[in-house]
Amino acid sequence: MLRAQSLHIQRGRKTVLADIDLVLNPGEMLGVLGPNGAGKSTLLAGLCGELRPSQGQVWLDDRPLAHWPGAERARRLAVLPQSSTLDFAFRVEEVVGMGRLPHQSGRLRDEQIVTAALQAADAAHLHGRSYLALSGGERQRVHLARVLAQLWPGEAGQTLLLDEPTSMLDPLHQHTILQAVREFASRGAAVLVILHDLNLAARYCERLLLLASGRPVALDTPRQVLRPEPLKSVFGLDVLVQDHPERGHPLIIAR
Amino acid sequence: MTALVKPRTLFIGLGVLCLLATWLSLALGPVSLPLLDTLRAALRLLGLPVAVDGLEQAELILGQIRLPRTLLGLAVGGVLALSGVAMQGLFRNPLADPGLVGVSSGAALGAAFAIVAGSALGGVPEAFGPYVLSLCAFLGGLGVTALVYRLGRRNGQTHVATMLLAGIALTALSGSAVGLFTYLADDATLRTLTFWNLGSLNGASYARLWPLLLVSAGVALWLPRRARELNALLLGESEAAHLGVNVEALKRELVFCTALGVGAAVAAAGMIGFVGLVVPHLVRLVAGPDHRVLLPASVLAGASLLLLADLVARLALAPAELPIGIVTAFIGAPFFLYLLVRGRA
Amino acid sequence: MRLNIRAVALCVALLVNQGASAVDLPQRWVSAGGALSEWVSALGGESKLVGVDTTSQHPESLRALPSIGYQRQLSAEGVLSLRPQILVGTEEMGPPPVLAQIRSAGVQVELFSATPDLPTLRGNLQHLGQLLGTEAEAAQLFDRYQKQLTQQHTRVVEAQRKQKAPGVLLLVGSSGGKPLVAGKGTSADWLLQQAGGHNLATHGGYKSFSVESLAGLNPDVLVFADRALSGEEARAALFRENPILSSTRAARDGRVMELDPTLLVGGLGPRLPQSLVELTAGFYPVESATAP
Repeated sequence: MLRAQSLHIQRGRKTVLADIDLVLNPGEMLGVLGPNGAGKSTLLAGLCGELRPSQGQVWLDDRPLAHWPGAERARRLAVLPQSSTLDFAFRVEEVVGMGRLPHQSGRLRDEQIVTAALQAADAAHLHGRSYLALSGGERQRVHLARVLAQLWPGEAGQTLLLDEPTSMLDPLHQHTILQAVREFASRGAAVLVILHDLNLAARYCERLLLLASGRPVALDTPRQVLRPEPLKSVFGLDVLVQDHPERGHPLIIAR
Repeated sequence: MTALVKPRTLFIGLGVLCLLATWLSLALGPVSLPLLDTLRAALRLLGLPVAVDGLEQAELILGQIRLPRTLLGLAVGGVLALSGVAMQGLFRNPLADPGLVGVSSGAALGAAFAIVAGSALGGVPEAFGPYVLSLCAFLGGLGVTALVYRLGRRNGQTHVATMLLAGIALTALSGSAVGLFTYLADDATLRTLTFWNLGSLNGASYARLWPLLLVSAGVALWLPRRARELNALLLGESEAAHLGVNVEALKRELVFCTALGVGAAVAAAGMIGFVGLVVPHLVRLVAGPDHRVLLPASVLAGASLLLLADLVARLALAPAELPIGIVTAFIGAPFFLYLLVRGRA
Repeated sequence: MRLNIRAVALCVALLVNQGASAVDLPQRWVSAGGALSEWVSALGGESKLVGVDTTSQHPESLRALPSIGYQRQLSAEGVLSLRPQILVGTEEMGPPPVLAQIRSAGVQVELFSATPDLPTLRGNLQHLGQLLGTEAEAAQLFDRYQKQLTQQHTRVVEAQRKQKAPGVLLLVGSSGGKPLVAGKGTSADWLLQQAGGHNLATHGGYKSFSVESLAGLNPDVLVFADRALSGEEARAALFRENPILSSTRAARDGRVMELDPTLLVGGLGPRLPQSLVELTAGFYPVESATAP
């Protein structure tokens, strides 16, 4: 289980993140929201060990994150960054197969998992294609398959961190992807996902963390967090909040 | 997408090519030996009991001249190609070349120093001459690369972009230093320097060969073990770290292997360019970028291509000899331009 | 009894040896180093030559022989493919590992000194004579050479009674560009001195000067040797690439002389006395009318 305790992160002299106390619960999807510069990506970087906190600590199970050896940590914690700079003509299944690097599961099992992960990311039809020939959205789904393969099949004790996984996807795929992540989480893994779209966050996440200027403003269910007053003060946007007619979760409508 | 060659087919094909190139390198040369003589002399070298009559010349040419030369070509070609793969992985760019970390220019600097200082000191005893030159070239290559690596490190992390710039700067600096040595040199030394800069497998001897063979074997056995991590590194350094790769250690290993391998190759055979750039590219075009295939295939391809280039160098102007660097440049430079124009594979 | 047989055996051996020595002389020669190859030809060895290096351009007929390439970067197999019995060259020949390989193939490798002075030349000619079986000729050639040089010396002394020795610079270049200046200890320096000129360059060996320093030294006579071009082309190239040379006294007085660069390779060569006559004529122009 991944847990942040009194996390403070500084860049140079400036404090970019402060007072973060966060527990990622198994089977739960936690959405992170906030305007640009609020510290969302910084939080993710701190949680996966890329940035070292100036105060506080990140714990994975009973040990500080920094004490985990590379491969062991990689079997429990996977990160999907916002964009990829891969510039070589690997085939799709080879890229997804890289997610199996921390494991010693053998070629046959790896191939099965790769196929399953591509299926889960709605990218099964991309099998055999060259990565460089794919569109931005297709590439994103391939990388999602990769991190799913890294934690496959997903169970309690594992954590998946996603930085805006829907940014380049069309509306249909935005939903398919988040649905796939949700299904993955339902097998026990804890998921933290940074999202820009408030309605997607409302629909797919069990809890939401609202950040502003590096500080937590609210950490609660979508119904509690997505109310006009906090949204106005954080985003500067006047909104109406209604219930989704079929599903019942909050629906944010700009006024 | 163009169909890729399967690994097994590739390795069989490259294996055959390598054996063929080795055989041609042993069988062909300015001295025309009857094929039967070559075969018998080769068998004798392998220790088989073969009648020795009339074989003296064949044994000498084969054993003392062509065999060490072939071994040198295999080792240099293999290690240069391997280092090319390592650097293209480190810089995550298929246009990278082992020279980017300064090892080639450092080796040139070391050699220039040895050549000019040697003649200034009134000549080194003939027995030591080639060793001193090789040693200075090797140390020069290692020294400059160590400096480039050090410059690229900040807060315990190696910044590849900084290393690239440091490499460019130090290459320029080494170049000026070599220029200074060139100026201080007299006509004779100048010519020696020029020829060293063009590279040659000429004069290969077993005594000077074994350090290179050791280093090449070491590098060729080590790097393929890191193939999967190298693949992950191409995703990006943080992505590789998230997959559990010790990125700092991997970068250090890549720089070190390149410095050792290229340093030893340049020390043994002078500057031979384009092999590290062109060979990994060709293999990638045919078999894809997976390092598990790319690394061993590049060794075979590099070794074969260099031997074939050496054949051209030896035979084109026989009984004179072309410096092999000219042949590789003649093939490599147009190919490089073609790649640039077409857009990277 | 035993003594007699021994004595007879000794005599027989000596006689046989005399006859055999002609057969033991190397018949297939490879030569490297311009002047050395010229001496081999002068001593009648041209018919024995099967290969020469790129600096061996005289006599013209040598150019038709197979070329073993640049003398410092010989290929062992290349030389061996000519099936030579002997390889001769100066200490400039190399690289050393290749020479060792050639030696171990049973080829005689003889290194001659390229130091430009008469004692060295005498030693070289003697040695060459022995190897070619023409010791008498070699001795004759040397005596003649020495005589020519003595005559030359007299000529210069005469000329210097009427004129001061001119300040001279000798430039060696290729297509006019980046000329090297011949300093002390070079064959070129020897040439200039023998011709009665005063070499303004005081460094050792061949060094490149900035053209300003060249012009600053302001030589009375400029001698140039171009590896790539010859004649008017070479002269024009020299001044085109180094325009500041036109400001020198030598250029203004039109005292710019051309020298064949092959004269400078491999030590003192047979054609030097003739060039000396030409050089002296150029250095002491009034004297040229009465030169013998």
